[in-house]
Amino acid sequence: MLKKEQNDLVTQTGPGTPMGDLFRAYWLPILLSEELPENDCPPVRVKVLSERMIAFRDSEGKLGLIDEFCAHRGVSLWFGRNEECGLRCPYHGWKFDTTGQCVDVPSEPEESGYAKKIKLKNYPLIEKGGVLWTYMGPAETTPPEPEWEFATVPLNQSFTSKRLQENNWLQAMEGGIDSSHVSFLHRGDLNNDPLFKGAAGNKYNLADSKPVFEVVEAPGGLYIGARRNAEDGKFYWRITPWVMPCFTMVPPRGDHPIHGHFWVPIDDETCTAWSFDYHPTRPLTDTERQAMKDGKGIHVRYVPGTYRPLANKDNDYLIDREAQKAGRTYSGVEGIGMQDASLQESMGPICDRTKENLVGTDNGIIMARHRLMRAAKALHEKGVLPPGRTVDDMKVRSAAVILPPDQHYKEAAKEALIAKVGVKQTSV
Amino acid sequence: MLLSESARVTTAQEARFRIQTPNSKPRAVKVIALDSEAARLVDEISKQPWNGAAFFKSLSFEQSGGDNVKAWLNDLAGHTSDLVGEVANADCVVVIAGAGEDAASVSVIAELCNHYHKTLVALVVPQGSYDQDTVDRSLKALRPHAKMLVIAHERDYIEAMLTALRA
Ligand code: FES
Ligand SMILES: [Fe+2]
Repeated sequence: MLKKEQNDLVTQTGPGTPMGDLFRAYWLPILLSEELPENDCPPVRVKVLSERMIAFRDSEGKLGLIDEFCAHRGVSLWFGRNEECGLRCPYHGWKFDTTGQCVDVPSEPEESGYAKKIKLKNYPLIEKGGVLWTYMGPAETTPPEPEWEFATVPLNQSFTSKRLQENNWLQAMEGGIDSSHVSFLHRGDLNNDPLFKGAAGNKYNLADSKPVFEVVEAPGGLYIGARRNAEDGKFYWRITPWVMPCFTMVPPRGDHPIHGHFWVPIDDETCTAWSFDYHPTRPLTDTERQAMKDGKGIHVRYVPGTYRPLANKDNDYLIDREAQKAGRTYSGVEGIGMQDASLQESMGPICDRTKENLVGTDNGIIMARHRLMRAAKALHEKGVLPPGRTVDDMKVRSAAVILPPDQHYKEAAKEALIAKVGVKQTSV
Repeated sequence: MLLSESARVTTAQEARFRIQTPNSKPRAVKVIALDSEAARLVDEISKQPWNGAAFFKSLSFEQSGGDNVKAWLNDLAGHTSDLVGEVANADCVVVIAGAGEDAASVSVIAELCNHYHKTLVALVVPQGSYDQDTVDRSLKALRPHAKMLVIAHERDYIEAMLTALRA
Protein backbone atom coordinates (compact mmCIF):
# COMPACT_ATOMS: atom_id res chain seq x y z
CA MET A 1 0.00 0.00 0.00
CA LEU A 2 1.05 3.57 -0.62
CA LYS A 3 -0.54 6.64 0.87
CA LYS A 4 -2.18 8.96 -1.64
CA GLU A 5 0.65 11.53 -1.38
CA GLN A 6 3.22 8.80 -1.96
CA ASN A 7 1.35 7.46 -4.95
CA ASP A 8 1.18 10.95 -6.42
CA LEU A 9 4.87 11.40 -5.77
CA VAL A 10 6.00 8.25 -7.59
CA THR A 11 3.60 8.47 -10.50
CA GLN A 12 3.92 12.14 -11.50
CA THR A 13 6.88 12.90 -13.73
CA GLY A 14 6.01 16.23 -15.33
CA PRO A 15 8.36 19.25 -15.19
CA GLY A 16 9.03 20.45 -11.65
CA THR A 17 7.76 17.35 -9.86
CA PRO A 18 10.20 15.43 -7.62
CA MET A 19 9.92 12.25 -9.67
CA GLY A 20 10.12 14.35 -12.83
CA ASP A 21 13.42 15.77 -11.57
CA LEU A 22 14.60 12.25 -10.85
CA PHE A 23 13.87 11.03 -14.37
CA ARG A 24 15.63 14.11 -15.70
CA ALA A 25 18.85 12.87 -14.09
CA TYR A 26 19.27 10.02 -16.62
CA TRP A 27 19.65 9.39 -20.32
CA LEU A 28 16.36 7.90 -21.52
CA PRO A 29 15.58 6.03 -24.73
CA ILE A 30 12.95 7.98 -26.65
CA LEU A 31 13.01 6.92 -30.30
CA LEU A 32 14.25 4.07 -32.44
CA SER A 33 16.86 5.09 -34.98
CA GLU A 34 14.51 3.75 -37.65
CA GLU A 35 12.08 6.56 -36.82
CA LEU A 36 14.56 9.10 -38.18
CA PRO A 37 16.04 6.91 -40.92
CA GLU A 38 17.88 9.50 -43.02
CA ASN A 39 18.94 13.11 -43.33
CA ASP A 40 16.04 15.51 -43.97
CA CYS A 41 13.49 12.79 -43.25
CA PRO A 42 10.09 13.77 -41.85
CA PRO A 43 10.22 15.08 -38.27
CA VAL A 44 8.67 13.00 -35.51
CA ARG A 45 6.47 14.06 -32.60
CA VAL A 46 7.63 12.79 -29.27
CA LYS A 47 6.28 13.27 -25.79
CA VAL A 48 8.46 12.36 -22.82
CA LEU A 49 7.93 13.19 -19.14
CA SER A 50 4.87 15.24 -20.13
CA GLU A 51 6.82 17.49 -22.51
CA ARG A 52 5.93 17.66 -26.19
CA MET A 53 8.83 17.82 -28.58
CA ILE A 54 9.82 17.37 -32.20
CA ALA A 55 12.78 15.24 -33.22
CA PHE A 56 14.48 15.56 -36.57
CA ARG A 57 17.66 14.69 -38.43
CA ASP A 58 18.91 17.63 -40.45
CA SER A 59 20.58 17.76 -43.86
CA GLU A 60 23.98 16.99 -42.30
CA GLY A 61 22.72 14.17 -40.09
CA LYS A 62 22.65 16.26 -36.91
CA LEU A 63 19.96 15.20 -34.47
CA GLY A 64 17.63 17.73 -32.95
CA LEU A 65 15.06 17.50 -30.18
CA ILE A 66 13.20 20.74 -29.71
CA ASP A 67 9.96 22.24 -28.41
CA GLU A 68 7.14 21.01 -30.66
CA PHE A 69 5.54 24.39 -31.21
CA CYS A 70 6.70 27.22 -33.42
CA ALA A 71 7.72 30.30 -31.47
CA HIS A 72 5.74 32.55 -33.82
CA ARG A 73 2.12 31.56 -33.33
CA GLY A 74 2.30 28.04 -32.00
CA VAL A 75 1.92 25.76 -35.00
CA SER A 76 3.18 22.20 -34.52
CA LEU A 77 6.51 21.79 -36.22
CA TRP A 78 5.46 18.27 -37.14
CA PHE A 79 4.21 20.00 -40.30
CA GLY A 80 7.63 21.49 -40.75
CA ARG A 81 9.79 21.29 -43.85
CA ASN A 82 13.03 19.57 -42.97
CA GLU A 83 15.39 21.30 -45.39
CA GLU A 84 18.79 22.97 -45.60
CA CYS A 85 19.88 22.29 -42.04
CA GLY A 86 16.72 23.27 -40.28
CA LEU A 87 13.05 22.76 -39.75
CA ARG A 88 10.90 25.42 -41.37
CA CYS A 89 7.40 26.12 -40.09
CA PRO A 90 5.07 25.97 -43.08
CA TYR A 91 2.78 28.72 -41.73
CA HIS A 92 4.98 31.82 -42.07
CA GLY A 93 8.34 30.26 -42.81
CA TRP A 94 10.20 30.64 -39.51
CA LYS A 95 13.11 28.23 -39.41
CA PHE A 96 14.85 26.46 -36.51
CA ASP A 97 18.07 24.47 -36.33
CA THR A 98 18.73 21.30 -34.29
CA THR A 99 19.50 23.35 -31.19
CA GLY A 100 16.13 25.09 -31.40
CA GLN A 101 17.79 28.34 -32.47
CA CYS A 102 15.66 30.34 -34.85
CA VAL A 103 17.75 30.99 -37.95
CA ASP A 104 15.27 32.71 -40.22
CA VAL A 105 12.27 34.99 -39.76
CA PRO A 106 11.39 35.81 -43.38
CA SER A 107 9.21 38.83 -42.56
CA GLU A 108 12.08 40.62 -40.82
CA PRO A 109 15.21 42.01 -42.46
CA GLU A 110 18.05 39.59 -41.88
CA GLU A 111 20.26 42.40 -40.62
CA SER A 112 17.80 43.22 -37.86
CA GLY A 113 19.03 40.16 -35.91
CA TYR A 114 15.45 39.35 -34.95
CA ALA A 115 15.93 35.61 -35.46
CA LYS A 116 18.82 35.52 -32.99
CA LYS A 117 16.47 36.50 -30.19
CA ILE A 118 14.22 33.51 -30.74
CA LYS A 119 15.13 30.10 -29.45
CA LEU A 120 13.06 27.02 -28.71
CA LYS A 121 13.92 24.80 -25.75
CA ASN A 122 16.07 21.88 -26.87
CA TYR A 123 17.50 18.73 -25.39
CA PRO A 124 20.51 16.69 -26.50
CA LEU A 125 19.69 13.72 -28.69
CA ILE A 126 22.28 11.02 -29.27
CA GLU A 127 22.27 7.73 -31.13
CA LYS A 128 23.49 4.50 -29.60
CA GLY A 129 22.63 0.89 -30.31
CA GLY A 130 19.85 1.68 -32.78
CA VAL A 131 18.19 3.92 -30.21
CA LEU A 132 17.98 7.70 -29.81
CA TRP A 133 18.52 8.90 -26.26
CA THR A 134 17.90 12.17 -24.55
CA TYR A 135 18.90 13.73 -21.27
CA MET A 136 16.46 16.37 -20.04
CA GLY A 137 18.24 17.58 -16.91
CA PRO A 138 20.70 20.36 -16.15
CA ALA A 139 23.75 20.37 -18.44
CA GLU A 140 26.17 20.61 -15.49
CA THR A 141 25.07 17.25 -14.16
CA THR A 142 24.91 15.28 -17.42
CA PRO A 143 25.67 11.63 -16.63
CA PRO A 144 27.94 9.45 -18.78
CA GLU A 145 26.34 8.37 -22.06
CA PRO A 146 24.35 5.11 -22.08
CA GLU A 147 26.58 2.05 -21.65
CA TRP A 148 23.88 -0.59 -21.31
CA GLU A 149 25.10 -3.78 -22.86
CA PHE A 150 22.21 -4.06 -25.31
CA ALA A 151 23.13 -0.66 -26.71
CA THR A 152 26.84 -1.35 -26.99
CA VAL A 153 26.98 -4.79 -28.64
CA PRO A 154 27.26 -4.82 -32.47
CA LEU A 155 23.86 -4.13 -34.05
CA ASN A 156 23.63 -7.65 -35.51
CA GLN A 157 23.61 -9.01 -31.95
CA SER A 158 20.59 -7.03 -30.80
CA PHE A 159 16.96 -6.30 -31.53
CA THR A 160 15.09 -3.48 -29.83
CA SER A 161 11.42 -2.63 -30.08
CA LYS A 162 9.07 -0.27 -28.32
CA ARG A 163 5.37 -0.20 -27.75
CA LEU A 164 2.85 2.25 -26.43
CA GLN A 165 1.48 1.26 -23.07
CA GLU A 166 -1.63 3.11 -21.99
CA ASN A 167 -0.99 3.48 -18.28
CA ASN A 168 1.37 5.15 -15.83
CA TRP A 169 5.02 4.11 -16.04
CA LEU A 170 5.25 2.71 -12.51
CA GLN A 171 2.64 0.00 -12.77
CA ALA A 172 4.34 -1.11 -16.00
CA MET A 173 7.81 -1.10 -14.44
CA GLU A 174 6.58 -2.95 -11.37
CA GLY A 175 5.67 -5.85 -13.63
CA GLY A 176 9.33 -6.03 -14.59
CA ILE A 177 10.47 -6.70 -11.03
CA ASP A 178 7.49 -8.77 -9.93
CA SER A 179 9.04 -12.21 -10.30
CA SER A 180 6.13 -14.00 -8.68
CA HIS A 181 3.66 -13.37 -11.52
CA VAL A 182 5.69 -15.40 -14.00
CA SER A 183 4.50 -18.71 -12.53
CA PHE A 184 0.93 -17.71 -13.31
CA LEU A 185 0.45 -15.21 -16.06
CA HIS A 186 3.20 -16.44 -18.38
CA ARG A 187 3.19 -20.13 -17.53
CA GLY A 188 1.83 -21.17 -20.92
CA ASP A 189 4.68 -19.51 -22.80
CA LEU A 190 7.73 -21.21 -21.33
CA ASN A 191 7.33 -24.32 -23.41
CA ASN A 192 5.86 -22.70 -26.50
CA ASP A 193 7.55 -19.41 -27.21
CA PRO A 194 10.44 -19.92 -29.64
CA LEU A 195 12.51 -17.42 -27.66
CA PHE A 196 12.16 -19.29 -24.35
CA LYS A 197 11.55 -22.93 -25.02
CA GLY A 198 14.06 -25.71 -24.62
CA ALA A 199 16.15 -24.15 -21.84
CA ALA A 200 17.22 -26.60 -19.13
CA GLY A 201 16.14 -24.16 -16.46
CA ASN A 202 12.51 -24.11 -17.61
CA LYS A 203 11.76 -27.38 -15.86
CA TYR A 204 12.57 -25.86 -12.46
CA ASN A 205 10.17 -23.02 -13.17
CA LEU A 206 7.40 -25.36 -14.08
CA ALA A 207 8.03 -27.84 -11.25
CA ASP A 208 8.22 -25.27 -8.48
CA SER A 209 5.63 -22.53 -8.69
CA LYS A 210 6.31 -21.22 -5.20
CA PRO A 211 9.72 -19.63 -5.41
CA VAL A 212 11.47 -18.08 -2.46
CA PHE A 213 12.86 -14.58 -2.88
CA GLU A 214 15.90 -12.68 -1.85
CA VAL A 215 16.09 -8.93 -2.41
CA VAL A 216 19.46 -7.23 -2.17
CA GLU A 217 20.37 -3.62 -2.74
CA ALA A 218 22.84 -2.76 -5.47
CA PRO A 219 24.53 0.64 -5.66
CA GLY A 220 22.28 1.69 -8.54
CA GLY A 221 19.14 -0.24 -7.70
CA LEU A 222 18.26 -3.77 -6.71
CA TYR A 223 18.75 -7.41 -7.39
CA ILE A 224 15.72 -9.61 -6.99
CA GLY A 225 16.64 -13.26 -6.75
CA ALA A 226 13.97 -15.95 -7.12
CA ARG A 227 15.02 -19.36 -5.90
CA ARG A 228 13.55 -22.68 -6.90
CA ASN A 229 14.55 -26.22 -6.06
CA ALA A 230 16.96 -27.96 -8.41
CA GLU A 231 18.58 -31.39 -8.12
CA ASP A 232 20.58 -32.65 -5.13
CA GLY A 233 19.40 -29.99 -2.74
CA LYS A 234 20.78 -27.24 -4.93
CA PHE A 235 18.89 -24.10 -5.89
CA TYR A 236 18.03 -22.67 -9.28
CA TRP A 237 18.28 -18.90 -9.02
CA ARG A 238 16.84 -16.37 -11.40
CA ILE A 239 18.25 -12.92 -10.76
CA THR A 240 16.56 -9.76 -12.01
CA PRO A 241 18.40 -6.46 -11.80
CA TRP A 242 16.59 -3.16 -11.52
CA VAL A 243 18.54 0.03 -12.11
CA MET A 244 17.04 3.33 -11.15
CA PRO A 245 14.69 4.61 -12.23
CA CYS A 246 13.23 2.35 -14.91
CA PHE A 247 15.60 -0.30 -16.28
CA THR A 248 14.82 -3.97 -15.67
CA MET A 249 16.19 -7.21 -17.09
CA VAL A 250 14.71 -10.68 -17.35
CA PRO A 251 16.94 -13.60 -16.33
CA PRO A 252 18.13 -15.57 -19.36
CA ARG A 253 17.02 -18.99 -20.51
CA GLY A 254 19.59 -21.32 -22.03
CA ASP A 255 21.43 -19.77 -24.95
CA HIS A 256 18.43 -17.70 -26.00
CA PRO A 257 19.10 -13.98 -26.34
CA ILE A 258 18.90 -12.15 -23.04
CA HIS A 259 16.30 -9.42 -22.66
CA GLY A 260 14.94 -6.57 -20.66
CA HIS A 261 13.05 -3.31 -20.64
CA PHE A 262 13.07 0.40 -20.14
CA TRP A 263 9.81 1.92 -18.88
CA VAL A 264 9.74 5.55 -19.95
CA PRO A 265 6.91 7.91 -19.03
CA ILE A 266 5.25 9.67 -21.95
CA ASP A 267 2.96 11.52 -19.58
CA ASP A 268 1.39 10.42 -16.32
CA GLU A 269 -1.15 8.20 -18.07
CA THR A 270 0.93 6.57 -20.78
CA CYS A 271 4.43 5.20 -21.13
CA THR A 272 6.70 3.59 -23.68
CA ALA A 273 7.66 0.01 -22.91
CA TRP A 274 11.05 -0.57 -24.51
CA SER A 275 11.94 -4.20 -25.08
CA PHE A 276 15.46 -5.22 -26.00
CA ASP A 277 16.90 -8.61 -26.82
CA TYR A 278 20.58 -9.27 -27.44
CA HIS A 279 23.22 -11.91 -27.28
CA PRO A 280 26.50 -10.78 -25.72
CA THR A 281 28.72 -12.92 -27.96
CA ARG A 282 26.98 -13.87 -31.19
CA PRO A 283 24.76 -12.38 -33.88
CA LEU A 284 21.06 -13.14 -33.54
CA THR A 285 20.02 -15.84 -35.96
CA ASP A 286 17.57 -15.04 -38.75
CA THR A 287 15.00 -17.21 -37.02
CA GLU A 288 15.39 -15.32 -33.75
CA ARG A 289 15.20 -11.95 -35.43
CA GLN A 290 12.13 -13.00 -37.38
CA ALA A 291 10.45 -14.31 -34.22
CA MET A 292 11.08 -10.95 -32.54
CA LYS A 293 9.65 -9.09 -35.53
CA ASP A 294 6.65 -11.39 -35.36
CA GLY A 295 5.97 -10.32 -31.79
CA LYS A 296 7.31 -13.38 -29.99
CA GLY A 297 9.11 -13.28 -26.67
CA ILE A 298 8.74 -9.87 -25.07
CA HIS A 299 7.96 -8.11 -28.35
CA VAL A 300 4.55 -7.46 -29.90
CA ARG A 301 2.90 -7.07 -33.26
CA TYR A 302 1.75 -3.58 -34.12
CA VAL A 303 -1.20 -1.83 -35.62
CA PRO A 304 0.43 -1.20 -39.02
CA GLY A 305 2.28 2.09 -39.23
CA THR A 306 2.28 2.64 -35.46
CA TYR A 307 3.96 1.44 -32.28
CA ARG A 308 0.60 0.60 -30.77
CA PRO A 309 0.17 -3.12 -30.15
CA LEU A 310 -2.18 -4.92 -32.50
CA ALA A 311 -3.92 -6.43 -29.49
CA ASN A 312 -4.95 -3.37 -27.54
CA LYS A 313 -7.75 -2.10 -25.38
CA ASP A 314 -9.90 -1.18 -28.38
CA ASN A 315 -10.24 -4.84 -29.30
CA ASP A 316 -10.21 -6.22 -25.75
CA TYR A 317 -6.67 -7.48 -26.39
CA LEU A 318 -8.14 -10.17 -28.66
CA ILE A 319 -8.83 -12.17 -25.53
CA ASP A 320 -9.46 -15.83 -26.27
CA ARG A 321 -11.57 -17.41 -23.53
CA GLU A 322 -11.21 -20.85 -25.09
CA ALA A 323 -7.42 -20.64 -24.85
CA GLN A 324 -7.80 -19.41 -21.29
CA LYS A 325 -10.04 -22.31 -20.37
CA ALA A 326 -7.81 -24.86 -22.07
CA GLY A 327 -4.74 -23.38 -20.37
CA ARG A 328 -2.93 -22.55 -23.62
CA THR A 329 -2.62 -19.08 -22.17
CA TYR A 330 -3.28 -18.33 -18.53
CA SER A 331 -5.24 -15.11 -19.05
CA GLY A 332 -6.51 -15.68 -22.57
CA VAL A 333 -4.24 -12.98 -23.98
CA GLU A 334 -1.45 -14.03 -26.27
CA GLY A 335 2.21 -13.05 -25.91
CA ILE A 336 4.21 -12.15 -22.82
CA GLY A 337 4.25 -8.42 -23.58
CA MET A 338 0.51 -8.11 -24.05
CA GLN A 339 -0.25 -10.40 -21.14
CA ASP A 340 1.50 -7.87 -18.93
CA ALA A 341 0.26 -4.76 -20.69
CA SER A 342 -3.39 -5.83 -20.77
CA LEU A 343 -3.48 -6.42 -17.03
CA GLN A 344 -1.54 -3.29 -16.21
CA GLU A 345 -3.78 -1.14 -18.39
CA SER A 346 -6.79 -2.69 -16.68
CA MET A 347 -5.62 -1.13 -13.39
CA GLY A 348 -6.62 2.24 -14.87
CA PRO A 349 -4.38 5.02 -16.14
CA ILE A 350 -2.83 5.53 -12.68
CA CYS A 351 -3.12 2.59 -10.32
CA ASP A 352 -4.68 3.50 -6.98
CA ARG A 353 -2.13 2.00 -4.60
CA THR A 354 -4.04 3.05 -1.51
CA LYS A 355 -6.26 0.04 -2.11
CA GLU A 356 -3.68 -2.68 -2.64
CA ASN A 357 -2.81 -5.41 -0.16
CA LEU A 358 0.81 -6.36 -0.58
CA VAL A 359 2.30 -9.55 0.74
CA GLY A 360 5.78 -10.47 1.93
CA THR A 361 6.85 -11.62 -1.52
CA ASP A 362 6.15 -8.15 -2.90
CA ASN A 363 9.26 -6.80 -1.19
CA GLY A 364 11.04 -6.21 -4.50
CA ILE A 365 8.32 -3.76 -5.43
CA ILE A 366 8.19 -2.23 -1.95
CA MET A 367 11.93 -1.68 -1.96
CA ALA A 368 11.99 -0.18 -5.46
CA ARG A 369 9.26 2.32 -4.55
CA HIS A 370 11.05 3.16 -1.34
CA ARG A 371 14.31 3.86 -3.11
CA LEU A 372 12.60 5.91 -5.81
CA MET A 373 10.78 8.10 -3.30
CA ARG A 374 13.89 8.54 -1.21
CA ALA A 375 16.05 9.49 -4.16
CA ALA A 376 13.42 11.80 -5.66
CA LYS A 377 13.05 13.69 -2.39
CA ALA A 378 16.80 13.93 -1.82
CA LEU A 379 17.28 15.35 -5.30
CA HIS A 380 14.31 17.70 -5.19
CA GLU A 381 14.91 19.03 -1.69
CA LYS A 382 18.67 18.84 -1.31
CA GLY A 383 20.05 18.51 -4.81
CA VAL A 384 21.57 15.09 -4.08
CA LEU A 385 22.16 13.30 -7.38
CA PRO A 386 20.44 9.91 -7.44
CA PRO A 387 22.05 6.45 -7.78
CA GLY A 388 22.20 4.54 -11.06
CA ARG A 389 24.05 7.14 -13.15
CA THR A 390 27.52 5.61 -13.41
CA VAL A 391 28.94 3.39 -16.12
CA ASP A 392 29.26 0.57 -13.58
CA ASP A 393 25.57 0.84 -12.75
CA MET A 394 24.78 0.38 -16.42
CA LYS A 395 27.08 -2.62 -16.86
CA VAL A 396 24.57 -5.04 -15.37
CA ARG A 397 23.19 -8.31 -16.57
CA SER A 398 20.53 -10.66 -15.38
CA ALA A 399 21.59 -14.24 -14.69
CA ALA A 400 20.25 -17.73 -14.11
CA VAL A 401 22.47 -20.02 -12.02
CA ILE A 402 22.41 -23.19 -9.99
CA LEU A 403 24.07 -22.79 -6.61
CA PRO A 404 24.64 -24.90 -3.52
CA PRO A 405 22.18 -24.03 -0.76
CA ASP A 406 24.63 -22.19 1.47
CA GLN A 407 25.78 -19.73 -1.17
CA HIS A 408 24.50 -16.23 -1.51
CA TYR A 409 23.85 -15.28 -5.12
CA LYS A 410 25.07 -11.74 -4.67
CA GLU A 411 28.53 -13.15 -3.93
CA ALA A 412 28.47 -16.49 -5.77
CA ALA A 413 27.01 -15.00 -8.96
CA LYS A 414 28.80 -11.67 -8.66
CA GLU A 415 30.67 -11.95 -11.96
CA ALA A 416 27.58 -13.25 -13.73
CA LEU A 417 25.77 -10.01 -12.91
CA ILE A 418 28.36 -7.81 -14.64
CA ALA A 419 28.24 -7.21 -18.38
CA LYS A 420 31.61 -7.98 -19.94
CA VAL A 421 32.55 -7.61 -23.57
CA GLY A 422 33.00 -10.98 -25.23
CA VAL A 423 31.71 -12.94 -22.26
CA LYS A 424 28.56 -14.99 -22.61
CA GLN A 425 25.61 -14.60 -20.28
CA THR A 426 25.39 -16.99 -17.32
CA SER A 427 22.35 -19.08 -17.92
CA VAL A 428 20.72 -22.46 -17.36
CA MET B 1 -15.96 1.47 -34.62
CA LEU B 2 -17.70 0.64 -31.38
CA LEU B 3 -15.51 1.13 -28.37
CA SER B 4 -14.62 -2.13 -26.73
CA GLU B 5 -15.41 -2.66 -23.07
CA SER B 6 -11.73 -2.44 -22.16
CA ALA B 7 -11.30 0.89 -23.86
CA ARG B 8 -14.41 2.28 -22.21
CA VAL B 9 -13.56 1.23 -18.67
CA THR B 10 -9.87 2.05 -18.47
CA THR B 11 -10.25 5.82 -18.54
CA ALA B 12 -9.50 8.12 -15.61
CA GLN B 13 -13.20 9.01 -15.44
CA GLU B 14 -14.19 5.39 -15.04
CA ALA B 15 -11.54 4.88 -12.36
CA ARG B 16 -13.67 7.14 -10.16
CA PHE B 17 -16.28 4.44 -9.90
CA ARG B 18 -14.10 1.95 -8.12
CA ILE B 19 -15.96 0.78 -5.01
CA GLN B 20 -14.65 2.52 -1.94
CA THR B 21 -15.57 -0.11 0.65
CA PRO B 22 -12.34 -1.42 2.21
CA ASN B 23 -11.22 -4.65 0.55
CA SER B 24 -9.31 -6.08 3.48
CA LYS B 25 -9.39 -6.41 7.24
CA PRO B 26 -6.46 -5.46 9.45
CA ARG B 27 -3.86 -8.19 9.52
CA ALA B 28 -1.85 -9.43 12.45
CA VAL B 29 1.82 -8.80 11.73
CA LYS B 30 4.31 -9.97 14.34
CA VAL B 31 7.67 -8.24 14.24
CA ILE B 32 10.42 -10.05 16.11
CA ALA B 33 13.95 -8.75 16.69
CA LEU B 34 16.60 -11.45 16.54
CA ASP B 35 19.47 -9.58 18.15
CA SER B 36 20.17 -6.54 20.27
CA GLU B 37 20.81 -4.23 17.31
CA ALA B 38 17.49 -5.22 15.84
CA ALA B 39 15.81 -4.81 19.23
CA ARG B 40 16.92 -1.19 19.30
CA LEU B 41 15.43 -0.57 15.85
CA VAL B 42 12.22 -2.36 16.70
CA ASP B 43 11.92 -0.36 19.89
CA GLU B 44 12.07 2.90 17.95
CA ILE B 45 9.72 1.82 15.22
CA SER B 46 7.13 0.45 17.59
CA LYS B 47 6.52 3.96 18.95
CA GLN B 48 4.76 4.99 15.77
CA PRO B 49 1.10 4.29 15.21
CA TRP B 50 0.51 0.92 13.54
CA ASN B 51 -2.55 -1.10 12.60
CA GLY B 52 -2.17 -3.65 15.32
CA ALA B 53 1.34 -4.86 14.54
CA ALA B 54 2.95 -6.48 17.56
CA PHE B 55 6.64 -5.85 18.27
CA PHE B 56 8.95 -8.11 20.23
CA LYS B 57 12.48 -7.35 21.24
CA SER B 58 13.72 -10.82 22.05
CA LEU B 59 13.06 -14.49 22.38
CA SER B 60 13.85 -16.56 25.44
CA PHE B 61 13.67 -20.25 26.15
CA GLU B 62 12.66 -22.10 29.25
CA GLN B 63 12.97 -25.76 30.13
CA SER B 64 9.46 -26.93 30.91
CA GLY B 65 9.67 -30.46 32.16
CA GLY B 66 11.50 -33.26 30.37
CA ASP B 67 12.77 -32.32 26.93
CA ASN B 68 10.14 -29.71 26.40
CA VAL B 69 11.41 -26.24 25.77
CA LYS B 70 9.04 -23.36 25.86
CA ALA B 71 9.79 -20.21 23.92
CA TRP B 72 8.70 -16.80 25.09
CA LEU B 73 8.59 -13.53 23.25
CA ASN B 74 9.46 -10.44 25.20
CA ASP B 75 7.72 -7.28 24.16
CA LEU B 76 8.96 -3.77 24.69
CA ALA B 77 6.88 -3.10 27.76
CA GLY B 78 8.52 -6.01 29.51
CA HIS B 79 5.66 -8.46 29.08
CA THR B 80 6.16 -11.95 27.77
CA SER B 81 3.92 -13.96 25.54
CA ASP B 82 3.97 -17.46 24.23
CA LEU B 83 5.71 -17.74 20.85
CA VAL B 84 3.41 -20.53 19.73
CA GLY B 85 0.33 -18.46 20.39
CA GLU B 86 1.72 -15.41 18.62
CA VAL B 87 2.68 -17.34 15.51
CA ALA B 88 -0.57 -19.27 15.45
CA ASN B 89 -2.48 -15.99 15.44
CA ALA B 90 -0.26 -14.20 12.95
CA ASP B 91 -0.98 -13.42 9.34
CA CYS B 92 2.64 -12.70 8.66
CA VAL B 93 5.77 -12.99 10.75
CA VAL B 94 8.62 -10.55 10.16
CA VAL B 95 11.97 -11.23 11.77
CA ILE B 96 14.64 -8.56 11.85
CA ALA B 97 18.35 -9.14 12.19
CA GLY B 98 20.65 -6.20 12.83
CA ALA B 99 23.36 -8.50 11.52
CA GLY B 100 25.32 -7.84 14.66
CA GLU B 101 24.77 -11.19 16.25
CA ASP B 102 23.81 -14.71 15.56
CA ALA B 103 20.32 -15.20 14.18
CA ALA B 104 20.05 -18.85 15.16
CA SER B 105 16.81 -18.56 17.11
CA VAL B 106 15.10 -18.02 13.79
CA SER B 107 14.88 -21.76 13.24
CA VAL B 108 12.50 -22.11 16.17
CA ILE B 109 10.28 -19.39 14.76
CA ALA B 110 10.55 -20.84 11.30
CA GLU B 111 9.46 -24.26 12.44
CA LEU B 112 6.35 -22.79 13.95
CA CYS B 113 5.67 -20.73 10.83
CA ASN B 114 5.92 -23.90 8.82
CA HIS B 115 3.64 -25.75 11.16
CA TYR B 116 0.98 -23.05 11.08
CA HIS B 117 1.54 -22.21 7.39
CA LYS B 118 2.53 -18.61 7.99
CA THR B 119 4.73 -16.57 5.71
CA LEU B 120 8.07 -15.69 7.24
CA VAL B 121 9.74 -12.53 6.00
CA ALA B 122 13.30 -11.89 7.13
CA LEU B 123 14.93 -8.49 7.05
CA VAL B 124 18.65 -8.06 7.52
CA VAL B 125 19.53 -4.48 8.33
CA PRO B 126 23.29 -4.19 8.84
CA GLN B 127 23.92 -1.40 11.35
CA GLY B 128 26.86 0.88 11.90
CA SER B 129 30.22 -0.63 11.08
CA TYR B 130 28.97 -4.17 10.62
CA ASP B 131 31.35 -6.79 9.35
CA GLN B 132 30.50 -8.89 6.35
CA ASP B 133 31.14 -12.19 8.13
CA THR B 134 28.46 -11.54 10.69
CA VAL B 135 26.05 -10.51 7.98
CA ASP B 136 26.83 -13.73 6.16
CA ARG B 137 26.23 -15.73 9.31
CA SER B 138 22.84 -14.14 9.79
CA LEU B 139 21.99 -14.78 6.19
CA LYS B 140 22.98 -18.39 6.45
CA ALA B 141 20.77 -18.81 9.46
CA LEU B 142 17.83 -17.07 7.79
CA ARG B 143 18.03 -18.33 4.24
CA PRO B 144 16.62 -21.83 4.72
CA HIS B 145 13.55 -20.49 6.47
CA ALA B 146 12.40 -17.24 4.97
CA LYS B 147 9.96 -17.02 2.09
CA MET B 148 11.33 -13.56 1.43
CA LEU B 149 14.73 -12.42 2.58
CA VAL B 150 15.63 -8.76 2.26
CA ILE B 151 18.95 -7.10 2.91
CA ALA B 152 18.36 -3.41 3.40
CA HIS B 153 21.04 -0.92 4.25
CA GLU B 154 18.69 1.84 5.20
CA ARG B 155 16.95 1.36 8.48
CA ASP B 156 13.91 3.35 7.37
CA TYR B 157 13.19 0.47 5.07
CA ILE B 158 11.71 -1.43 7.98
CA GLU B 159 9.07 1.23 8.41
CA ALA B 160 8.51 1.49 4.68
CA MET B 161 7.93 -2.23 4.46
CA LEU B 162 5.62 -2.43 7.45
CA THR B 163 3.60 0.48 6.11
CA ALA B 164 3.36 -1.16 2.71
CA LEU B 165 2.12 -4.34 4.37
CA ARG B 166 -0.47 -2.35 6.38
CA ALA B 167 1.08 -3.75 9.55
S1 FES C 1 -3.65 -11.63 -8.13
FE1 FES C 1 -2.21 -10.02 -8.15
S2 FES C 1 -3.36 -8.38 -9.01
FE2 FES C 1 -4.82 -9.92 -8.81
FE1 LIG D 1 5.34 -10.34 -17.13
